[in-house]
Amino acid sequence: MLTVIVTGLAIGMLYASIALVYNVMFSTSKVLSVTTGHLSMVGGVFGAYIISVLQMHWLWGLLGAVLAGATFGWLTDVLAIRRVLARSDEHLWLLSTLALATMVQQGVGLWWGTEPKPFPRLITQEFGAGLMDQKFWLPIGMAIVMTIGLEFFYRKTMYGKVFIAMSEDAFAARARGVSTDKIRLLSYVLSGALGGLAGFAAGQLTFAFFALGHTLTLLGFIALAVGGLGSNIGALIGGAALGLLNSFASYYFGGEYQQTIAVGLLMVVLLIKPEGLLGAKNVRPV
Amino acid sequence: MNSQTTKVLSLLVGAILIATLPFWAGDQYQLHLAALIAVYWILIAGLNLVVGFTGQLSIGHVGLLSIGSYTFAILAGKMGVDPTLSVFVSGLLGGLCGLALGLPSLRLPGFYFAMATMAFSMIVNEIVLAQVDLTGGGIGLPGPMFPKPFDSPIGFYYLVTAIALFVTWLTWNIARRMWGRAFISIRDNPVAAQAVGVPVFKAKLLAFVFSGITAGVSGAVFASLQSYITPDTFVFELSMFFFVCIIIGGRGSIIGPFLGTVVLTALPELVSPLAKLGNFFYGLLLLVVVLVVPEGIGRMFEIISERLRPRIVHREPITPDLNRLAKALKGHE
Repeated sequence: MLTVIVTGLAIGMLYASIALVYNVMFSTSKVLSVTTGHLSMVGGVFGAYIISVLQMHWLWGLLGAVLAGATFGWLTDVLAIRRVLARSDEHLWLLSTLALATMVQQGVGLWWGTEPKPFPRLITQEFGAGLMDQKFWLPIGMAIVMTIGLEFFYRKTMYGKVFIAMSEDAFAARARGVSTDKIRLLSYVLSGALGGLAGFAAGQLTFAFFALGHTLTLLGFIALAVGGLGSNIGALIGGAALGLLNSFASYYFGGEYQQTIAVGLLMVVLLIKPEGLLGAKNVRPV
Repeated sequence: MNSQTTKVLSLLVGAILIATLPFWAGDQYQLHLAALIAVYWILIAGLNLVVGFTGQLSIGHVGLLSIGSYTFAILAGKMGVDPTLSVFVSGLLGGLCGLALGLPSLRLPGFYFAMATMAFSMIVNEIVLAQVDLTGGGIGLPGPMFPKPFDSPIGFYYLVTAIALFVTWLTWNIARRMWGRAFISIRDNPVAAQAVGVPVFKAKLLAFVFSGITAGVSGAVFASLQSYITPDTFVFELSMFFFVCIIIGGRGSIIGPFLGTVVLTALPELVSPLAKLGNFFYGLLLLVVVLVVPEGIGRMFEIISERLRPRIVHREPITPDLNRLAKALKGHE
């Protein structure tokens, strides 16, 4: 039973990390990017490439994953967001990020291969470690560190406050002299780095697999919608709920209906509390 | 030659080309490709009403295609039901699933709706994999042939072309009359549409259920064309392909998405380096179109033709009649 809980929490925390990444991008641009899950996929694949193929120390792998994610985040803003936001048609960003996500996924598939490849162990540890295994605790720890770090960033640093100002009212922030374009670019680079980090930490759980992106995008979004758009603590709770529900469901009914159950959770939450558990009432999206 | 005759003439040429295609197509494979285009077009014509006219970005229609295909394969193949009847049942079931999916998800705004439809296609694949007794799981099912006159490649081509033409005629009728106007108004401004009395949710649901029916029918003939279906046939990228065809062709037109379907289906098959890149190419094309001509390639042609043959704008300069003006001013004093 404890195994079920720990497995669920571990995978749930990966979803929570992705929900956090959604939040960072949403705060400055009001865009929910389809590339969010792919950021983590890129982080996982690059980490595995640097450690397994290039045979370098895992710290370099971590750095490579973060850099790859940040570059992808930067590309997302430059290619898919900047010109589209200027046109102010809300549907277009969905199309452009979907196009970019597909291109990156296929590019990684062509280069890395279409088979899931194992992610190397980061810390020397016996494989029979059971519940104490690093593959469970790395994503959990990472999500908690990311949440605390983001809260600290939003509350204590100047840039964090500018992020909040932009999420409240981008026009007012611009009028007060905030360079909104630069801040948005910064938020995309930051979210890319965080996404790469999350994918790296959860690599041993998900494997380095090119087709993870769309699933992670969907499940991270469900965690976000359950927890409430814009709330970091909500993202953690939503991710944990989704992961636990999934692992308990596969424990009792078998693993075939995971997505069905996840979407069922989303529908129930949208019906009962459309703004999510901790979402702000006034940004009600439904 | 005025534009009306040009239109009729090009339609006539198109009809002759389509009708005589089996006689000038080089080999069996090209005929297969033409049938595939017709099968895809059956789905895309319906989806066009949802994406191109109503502006609801559904990226999960591969789920409905999959439902149609499996219904046909199970009914006509496993249970021995008449294939023609099975096609109708596939369409009906596709419409019902479209209704079941549309009822909750069409109330959601943009990104939420796209995610809900994407999740739907994933759920369908998951259920297909799980229900091994019914669908054969990962092994798949054979797609049965149609009875006598349609069992050859040529006969099958005429069958799917007839269905495709019928569906095109239906969508054309919907698009240019009352409902089509309602769809476009919802796409451009839902609030204004509601204010002038368009039943927004009902119209969206109507378009979506219609696209479900065409997706189901398309799935049925798709199963027969592919002759063997597995869950791997219905990957998410296929949904993406349908979507790209419409966006590239241009929203709010029928001929644009049709050309998009023809070009995008045929191009990777005829130019082999593109086939290797596959979905990367579709992604790139979508990105370029969204960034450069968001209205679609069709709009680009319009712009070019306007450049080549500028519309004659009649200028009627007004020359002031100064004497009369002076007289009128004087008269006042």
